[in-house]
Amino acid sequence: MQLNLFLLLAVALFCIGIYGLITSRNAVRVLMSIELMLNAVNINLLAFSNYLDGQSIRGQVFAVFIITVAAAEAAVGLAIILSIYRNRDTVDMEKFNVLKW
Amino acid sequence: MLSLLIWMPVLGAVLLTVWPSKLSAVRLRQIAFIIMAVVLGWTAVVGYAFTSSDASLQLREELPWLEGLGLSYRLSVDGLSFPLLVLNSLLTWLALHATEAKIQRPRLYYALILLLNAAVSGAFVAENLLLFFLFYELELIPLYLLISIWGGPRRGYAATKFLIYTAVSGVLLLGAFLGITWLGGMASFDYQPLLTQTIPVVQQCWLLGALLIGFGIKIPLVPFHTWLPDAHVEAGTPVSMLLAGVLLKLGTYGLIRYGMVLLPQGWETLAPWLATWAVITTLYGALMAIAQTDMKRMVAFSSIAHMGYILLACAAATPLSLLGAIFQMVSHGLISALLFALVGVVYQKTGTRNIEVLRGLLNPERGLPIIGSMMVLGVMASAGIPGMVGFISEFLVFRGSFPIFPLQTLLSIIGTGLTAVYFLLLVNRVFFGRLSPQVTDLPPVTWGDRFPGLILTGLIVLFGLQPAWMLNWSQATTTVLAAPLIRQPLITQATPVISPSSPL
Amino acid sequence: MDFANLASQLNAGAILPEGIVIITLLVVLIADLIVGRAADRWTPYVAIAGLLAAVGALYLGWNRLETVSFLGSFNSDNLSLVFRGIIALATVVTILMSIRYVEQTGSDLGEYLTILLSATLGAMFLSGSEELVMIFISLETLSIASYLMTGYMKRDLRSNEAALKYLLIGAASSAIFLYGSSLLYGLSGGSTSLAGIAAGIANSSQSLGVLISLVFVIAGISFKISAVPFHQWTPDVYEGAPTPVVAFLSVASKAAGFALAVRFMTIAFPSVSDQWQFIFTALAILSMILGNVVAIAQTSMKRMLAYSSIGQAGFVMIGFVIGTESGYASMLFYLLIYLFMNLGAFTCIILFSLRTGTDQISDYAGLYQKDPLLTLALSICLLSLGGIPPLAGFFGKLYLFWAGWQAGAYGLVILGLLTSVVSIYYYIRVVKMMVVKEPQEMSETIKNYPALSWKPFGMRPLQVGLILTLITTSLAGILSNPLFNLVNASVADVPLFEAAVPIRPAAPVSLQVPATPLSAVVPQSAPQAQTLNVNLRS
Repeated sequence: MQLNLFLLLAVALFCIGIYGLITSRNAVRVLMSIELMLNAVNINLLAFSNYLDGQSIRGQVFAVFIITVAAAEAAVGLAIILSIYRNRDTVDMEKFNVLKW
Repeated sequence: MLSLLIWMPVLGAVLLTVWPSKLSAVRLRQIAFIIMAVVLGWTAVVGYAFTSSDASLQLREELPWLEGLGLSYRLSVDGLSFPLLVLNSLLTWLALHATEAKIQRPRLYYALILLLNAAVSGAFVAENLLLFFLFYELELIPLYLLISIWGGPRRGYAATKFLIYTAVSGVLLLGAFLGITWLGGMASFDYQPLLTQTIPVVQQCWLLGALLIGFGIKIPLVPFHTWLPDAHVEAGTPVSMLLAGVLLKLGTYGLIRYGMVLLPQGWETLAPWLATWAVITTLYGALMAIAQTDMKRMVAFSSIAHMGYILLACAAATPLSLLGAIFQMVSHGLISALLFALVGVVYQKTGTRNIEVLRGLLNPERGLPIIGSMMVLGVMASAGIPGMVGFISEFLVFRGSFPIFPLQTLLSIIGTGLTAVYFLLLVNRVFFGRLSPQVTDLPPVTWGDRFPGLILTGLIVLFGLQPAWMLNWSQATTTVLAAPLIRQPLITQATPVISPSSPL
Repeated sequence: MDFANLASQLNAGAILPEGIVIITLLVVLIADLIVGRAADRWTPYVAIAGLLAAVGALYLGWNRLETVSFLGSFNSDNLSLVFRGIIALATVVTILMSIRYVEQTGSDLGEYLTILLSATLGAMFLSGSEELVMIFISLETLSIASYLMTGYMKRDLRSNEAALKYLLIGAASSAIFLYGSSLLYGLSGGSTSLAGIAAGIANSSQSLGVLISLVFVIAGISFKISAVPFHQWTPDVYEGAPTPVVAFLSVASKAAGFALAVRFMTIAFPSVSDQWQFIFTALAILSMILGNVVAIAQTSMKRMLAYSSIGQAGFVMIGFVIGTESGYASMLFYLLIYLFMNLGAFTCIILFSLRTGTDQISDYAGLYQKDPLLTLALSICLLSLGGIPPLAGFFGKLYLFWAGWQAGAYGLVILGLLTSVVSIYYYIRVVKMMVVKEPQEMSETIKNYPALSWKPFGMRPLQVGLILTLITTSLAGILSNPLFNLVNASVADVPLFEAAVPIRPAAPVSLQVPATPLSAVVPQSAPQAQTLNVNLRS
């Protein structure tokens, strides 16, 4: 039954991530929520890898890739947030209304 | 041979647009004349090569194009399309004459007129459903621009309305064509193989319904007609001439060629309703025309009424009535073009088309006597006075349709009577009586203004006296076209069939 | 192990075009680092040459015998070749139109080209990927490069904001996509290749887990092709991002998304083909309706094109959902045509905004008087997008509708026809603005229209791009036989479709489908959902 528990943990993390994504006003928090979602995916992959794919552990490899790419994504995201902060002095999502949403 | 009819105007249009040196409007007009004259001459050559006793599609040309799509470049002509081709070339040529010499943006204008001519010719000679559709759609943009650039004050509205109606019509046609080909079990849209299709009657009726609405917008049939009066009122004189004279014929032509011939059983089933629809269109158009005060609007509504006769004749589908339908297409083309040309001259000289303002234009000293006389003549032709082309065509239509749909034919004849009513009102108010004080000091009418009218009047009288010259072109074809639909005269049975949907 | 041996084992020749792009990217990057701004004069042409060489390499790879490479993660079959060709060509045209734009905004051209080439690389790899990790990596290469390009105008608030929105929504959607992928990995019993997944889930095709992962994966893909309701980012990003970037996103990124959709759905999900076709049908219907209807109300040219591109994606999806060979062929054909007409339209918009600095539709009034060539080109491209004969777009739509009709998707085709009427209306509104307006109705912008000059640096390429797209848009339809043979050949040789092409009844697929609530599908699989864990263990 342990796989179940891991999957439930992943689902919980993923839902928390989505909740944070929808409700956060601070752009950095939104980025963090996305990281949560990606980590949920990682837990999923590791659990599956451990229980189903012990030989070639593709899931773990996949997770390493995800962690790397997530870092790149976060870097780009923070860079964009930084440049927006320089221009507007705020990272509040609701203030970003130059473009009609 | 037929290709040249399409490609000469296209090349002419391209030439007019890209000609490097600066040309004055007058010079451009002359070039356009020459191009159209060549096209008209070429039409005559085609007419020489055309064998009128041969009922099949002739002068065929064939090039493979897009097999994956079932589209091939096949052209041909028969007794149904040939008179319309001639009409197209002739009216475009005359429309160029009716254009003001100092028109704005002449290059674009003449190029668009030539393109329009090419598209319409292409639609008439196409022998592939998709090719027809292509040309049918091709005509959309030039006409849209012609109305919206050189039109009257509300041209934007009228042009957009025209665009939307015609685009919807195109979509319905495409849907119906896809359906005919697919249900007919063909991989290609070629016309000839489709003649042998065996689609069940119910599906034929559905397809025909789509075709009827599609072409009904173009013809136009009530209640899809509302774009036409607006388009006519806003469009310039030459555009109106082309619109009424040639473009509406695309609808009736398509209905005969792709509706009646390809889906004979469905046509037979729907024919009584079609005849009733034709009567409604005729009477509605005529009654609306009586209520108009704008001359152009009145002529536009009379156009609608006269197109109704063609639908009636098509519904009856006897050889005689089909002959009448073709003849009516040509005669309506000539007459409405004449009326629009004359109204255009009146408007140009007096600055108004309101029949409550204009009086006594027939005044020989200070009025427009020759224009007025031609107007009287055109009106008489339209009302079906013997000796003119309108009489022959209407007689053929009614004579051909009466055995099949007696009641509807009789009601349509009432429509003819109404034609006389509104046109007499028009002529009586505008041309007879004392010259109204508002319109004194008219600018002089030149022979150039009169030229299109004179040619058209001549033709109207000529074919009125010698209809056989034109009927010969189509006689063989109509016999064959009507062959799958030959029916017993239904006078005795007709009444129960039509009574449920009778308008009265 | 020597390198040549390894390369032949991996069948590395399959990624020769991508290799060329990588080398080009490095050359541009290093040249920019060493020579500095002076290199801007020639790096764009190096990039174009590299991309054209890649297209040549793609051509040489046609009908390759051994298509699978890198142990099954990349498949260089003819289908992927066409998609990669579309992407590479789109980048070429994008570079042509970017040079002047980037130059005029004072940004660094070398970096821009590097990022653009990275995005191209990601998109090209995405078109052939057949393995989850590979798909993810190439998807992210494309996405992250796109975010960077969107925010490339660092001082421009709109560009910042567009980039942030794009990044957040994009990252979220790729997280959702990944979650679906991770479920697939588990459900298939530990396989990350698409074919392995198909084999793994073949028995449990109705299980809730498969359906959830299907929905998640589709959500991720729909974001890339901006299908309604995953389209919210599109108008904002299109309005805020630099225009050449928008052009790239609207064609190359979208083509990559469609490549991914075709590959993923047909290889991994043949067992639930009814379900994914149902979902994509719904997406197509929504996209066609919403994209085309909302476009009417737009006042900004770029925003209008954003909505129109949503609608166009809906048309393309017709070819995809019917799932026949001719459907895929017509979809590819339309994407090819769309490449030229859409990029042509964007080239015109860039030219106009470079000369006037605006992209409001009302500012185009009376352009005919001042710049006939631009008017002609933009009119042709827009009319072609609207499907007016005899332009290329007309034939593209005709192929799509004909294929749809043959497959029995009557409802979809009729909806497509009707919405294309709507699209004609808003496209022609712009044409009318440019052509019909009288001199006295000319907008202020047009009155101050600068004198035409192709002299400044970067204008020539723009002109070349304009003429190229104009000619292709005018003639590609009339002379479409070779193109059509090409796309037919590309789908005909691919074995994957034979398994995936569902045997459809000739009944109408669409319109009636949305009436069926989604819950109708789910309950029947609910019992199996409880046994999910058991399945996973075994």
